[in-house]
Formats: sequence, C-alpha cells, structure tokens
Amino acid sequence: MNKTIDVDVAIMGSGVAGMGAAYKLAQSGGLKIAVFEKYPAQGGAVSNCPMCVCSTPDTPEAQKAAFEVLARFSNYTANMGAVSKLVKYSSEFPKIFLDELKIECEMKVDRDPKDYGNERGYTMGHANGLDVGDIYFLKGRGKGHAMALALLRLRLKLEKEGVQFFFSTHIKKIIKDASGKVTGAIAYEKDGSEININCKALIVASGGISSNMEMMKELGVVNTKFEDVYKEGTQVIKTFPDACQDGDGQKAVWEIGGKKTGIVISADPEVPNPGIRIGENTPWFPANSLKIVAEQPYLRVDENGKRMINEEMSNQHTAMSAAYAKSPNMCGYMIFDEDTAKHLAQRVEDGYVYFIFKGVKCENIRGQMDSIIAMGNKHVCHFDTIHEVCEYMGINEVNLKKTIERYNKAKEIGYDEDFKTNPMYIRPVREESGQIYCMRIFAGAYDTMGGLAIDENANVLDENDRPIEGLYAGGDMVTGSIFGNPPQNAGGTVYGSMPTGMLAGVSAAAYVKGDA
Amino acid sequence: MKLQINDYCIRCGICVDLYPDIFKRNHEEHKIDVLHDELPSNLEERATQAIADCAVAGHKKNIVCYMKQL
Repeated sequence: MNKTIDVDVAIMGSGVAGMGAAYKLAQSGGLKIAVFEKYPAQGGAVSNCPMCVCSTPDTPEAQKAAFEVLARFSNYTANMGAVSKLVKYSSEFPKIFLDELKIECEMKVDRDPKDYGNERGYTMGHANGLDVGDIYFLKGRGKGHAMALALLRLRLKLEKEGVQFFFSTHIKKIIKDASGKVTGAIAYEKDGSEININCKALIVASGGISSNMEMMKELGVVNTKFEDVYKEGTQVIKTFPDACQDGDGQKAVWEIGGKKTGIVISADPEVPNPGIRIGENTPWFPANSLKIVAEQPYLRVDENGKRMINEEMSNQHTAMSAAYAKSPNMCGYMIFDEDTAKHLAQRVEDGYVYFIFKGVKCENIRGQMDSIIAMGNKHVCHFDTIHEVCEYMGINEVNLKKTIERYNKAKEIGYDEDFKTNPMYIRPVREESGQIYCMRIFAGAYDTMGGLAIDENANVLDENDRPIEGLYAGGDMVTGSIFGNPPQNAGGTVYGSMPTGMLAGVSAAAYVKGDA
Repeated sequence: MKLQINDYCIRCGICVDLYPDIFKRNHEEHKIDVLHDELPSNLEERATQAIADCAVAGHKKNIVCYMKQL
C-alpha cells in the first residue's frame, strides 16, 4: 500500500528558497509543514556559492532605490509587485543570518542608497550579491561557504519547531482537483515506492535545470559545440557536481498548465578545467592565477573576431556571462600580448576586480598556461603570431586583425569608439611584444534561472497569466519574475531566491488559513 | 582511525577536491565515500584537517561527534 502524508503545506526543495518558505510558514504558526528533497542532502545551488548576501535596509530611501534599480534592470519586465515585497524581505537577512542562525559577519559594506546600481565593485547580479543594499560577508565553517552552514542551522531550528524533512524523496507530479486547485503531489522514495502527499498548498522550489543536459539542450539553454564543458568532470562550472537540479519542478508545473518562461544560465564566466580550479567541486579555489587573468579588462572577441562587450565590464559577471552566452558557441576569447603579461606580473588592474585585491600579481602566465596545456586543457594557448592563435582557437583571422587594429588605435587616440571602454584599461595587442595569449571563456553556470512565472504573491501563473490556486514557487525557477522575463542573466542569488521563497511561504500560510 | 560521513554532509565536495586521497564522490548513490575503512596512519593528519575544512562538519572521526561545533 502506498504511503500517504497529510500536511498543510508541502515544499519541494530544501535550498535557500525552500528554506525561506519553510521559515516563514513556521513563523506563521499552527501549520503542518513538510519539506521534500530529491537529493539525499540539503543544499540547493546556493550552498556552494555565496560568501556574501545583500540586504536592502528597511528605510524608505533604500527600499525605493533598490526597487527602482531592479525595475530598470529588468526593463520593467519583472513583476514589480513581487519585487516590492522581495526588496522588503531582504531587509530581514541580518536578523535571520546573524541573530537567529549565529553566522558570523566578517565584513559589512554599507552602501548609500544613491549608489545602488552604480558601482562596479559589487555588481548588479553578481552571483554573490546585488548592489542594492548593504553587503554582508558571512563566515562559513572550514573552507565552506556560510550559506551551507546557515541552511543546515536553519533546518535544525525548523526541525525543532516541527517542520518535517524528507530526503531522497522525489516529487514528480502535482495533483489538481476538478476545480483546478492544487491538492497534493506524488513523490517517490529512493526504492521507487510511491508517496501520496495531500496538502492544501504546494510550494515548488526545486531550482534550476543545470544537471539536466538533455533539457538544457532542448530548451536552447546550452547551444555550443563545446557542450562537453557543461558536463560532469570537465564542466565550466556548476553549483556542484551531482546536484540533481534536473528541472523536476518546472516539468511538473508545466504538465499541469503552468506558464513556461525563458531559462538562462546564471552568471560566472569561466575558462574550463582542467587546471583552472583545483577540482570540479570548488569553483572558489583557483589552481593558479589564470582565473584572475580571465577577470582583467582586456580585449575580448567572439569567434568571428569581433568585440562583444565593453571589456571594462569584465568583472561584472552578469554582463560578461550574458555576452558570452549570446555569442556563437556561447564563448568568447580574451586576447593579450607579452607586454600585458609582463604588466600583470607587476600588478593586476587596481581597484577594479571585486574579489581580487589590490597589489595581486599574476606572474609567469606563460608557465601557468603551459602547465595546464600539458594537463590537456585546450581552451588556453599562446603563440608568436595572431595567425597561429586564430588557427588553434578557431577565430576569424581577418576580422580579428581588423579588430585589433581599431582596438590599438583606440589606445593611441585615447577614445574607444566601438565600445566606449575606459582607455586606461585598453592594452594594445602587438605581435612585436613577443607572444600572443588567448583564453576561451564560457558563460559559466551556478545553475539556471527561470522557467516559471509568479504573481506578486508568488502564486504560480498558468499559460493565461492566471494564478493556479494552491501552487506557489520561489527561487531560481521564478527569477524571471524578479529580474525580467527571460531573466537578465542575473546570477543565482540569495537576494532573489530566499525572499521569493519567503514570499511563497507567507502567501501559502495566508491561503491555507483563509486570510488570503 | 576511522572516518565516517554523517547525515549533515551536503555533498559539496570540498573534501573531494582538497583530499582526493581520502574522499571520492559516489555519483550513483549521491554521496561522498571514504576511500579507506581504516585510515593509514600517514593520512590521519590530513583527515583531521579535512574535518576542519568541512563546510558543515559532515565527517565524523571515530566516535567524536563534530556536530557540537555547530
């Protein structure tokens, strides 16, 4: 006989969105809550990413400034009712993470609301933080990220408050009654046995689709001849291998008539392994200085040899990833010469890159490249001539030479007509310097964003933009409703994910209690 | 010395990347495996460091419960 679980609210996914929802549901009191996680462990995309969170203070000036930045960022395609609420929920972060979960704050960057959306340092949509509030650098345990510890502590707290957690339990189907109201779900345990979940409301918070290559290809999220870089082992970057982010939530909601929205890879430009990072699990441990080099503001072209973005944006992961993702084969090529390599051996561009500190040197770039080429990395090279680089990397030589001519001239005349780059960052590329270096950089993925649409209460919308009764969603899968549809490649963020989860929790609680 | 992975492990893989001589990702069962039933004495120091480096203290050495560090 099948097992049956009766609850008031069921949550699919135990990442930051699901936990945000559970937190708010528990806070509302008197509800039977259960969290279902397909993976045998808690986590979600965010456990392996953020070292900082952004929180918009609850003052009229800050809230207004953050709201307006997000509105403009999405070209007003976001659901502004939902944005208004998530900006407010983000103000609760210090209370939740620092006071309740006792996570240590190593450093806080106070931002003037007038500067929201303006500074390049903590960039809009960087996977680690939006610049629409104060930035809290949180201290994790050991060499891990704080969010892993925070979510575990939150789970222990919620378990004490009566929230049930079911791991290795995979929700595959959502059940609607004749009136179209969601009344439950079907889940499967590890051994294949079925569980009938009866609930008054269901919150879908299962994240992105980055573990599901077939779905990524089918939806055009990955469209490159280098698709191997998105696979396990040699991947550009994923939240973490074996993350089980398979798009189950999106599929289950689409199956019952939920609106399909665009899905994009979230942001962090990466040169693929081997040799760039120490392993496939820990993107924040670089193996050498090449990751730092890849963040420098020097010439970038697509495979047609044409510039693709103002290189001054090179530490702005949202902008860079979006540029790479829409280039042919979803990649770009960073090109610099021996003079620039010597310059980097002295210092990287100061006051420029967000997590690379002043005075950092990238010495012996050629030696570092040689060692990873010896490991089999085909995404970096250096040659005497531009011709050889183009041949090896597959870049259009005629166009690249023309591009370099214009780029070098921009330095000479102190004005970059093409991309308006700050001339101080332009470093001419000249064969006479002795060597031409090239790195192939991809739109890396912490996860994907998008797939579902929500209204201002995190109620999931159907194909006709009408809310599906009893069905709520939060996290990476609804970020289109926050950052624009499709999401403007804003990076998987605590800022977007946790408050949408919290909103789903508050709304589901009100719905179940009849207060909606 | 024996090393166990406890329930709080989030499978992030820090240990796999930093201590590949001790840990391996098990993709089939979605878990992290310890490569040695009984750790050779020359790995004991590294294993202790691995516990210190763990994001959530998901490793348990002998019967010492590291969850108290939470």
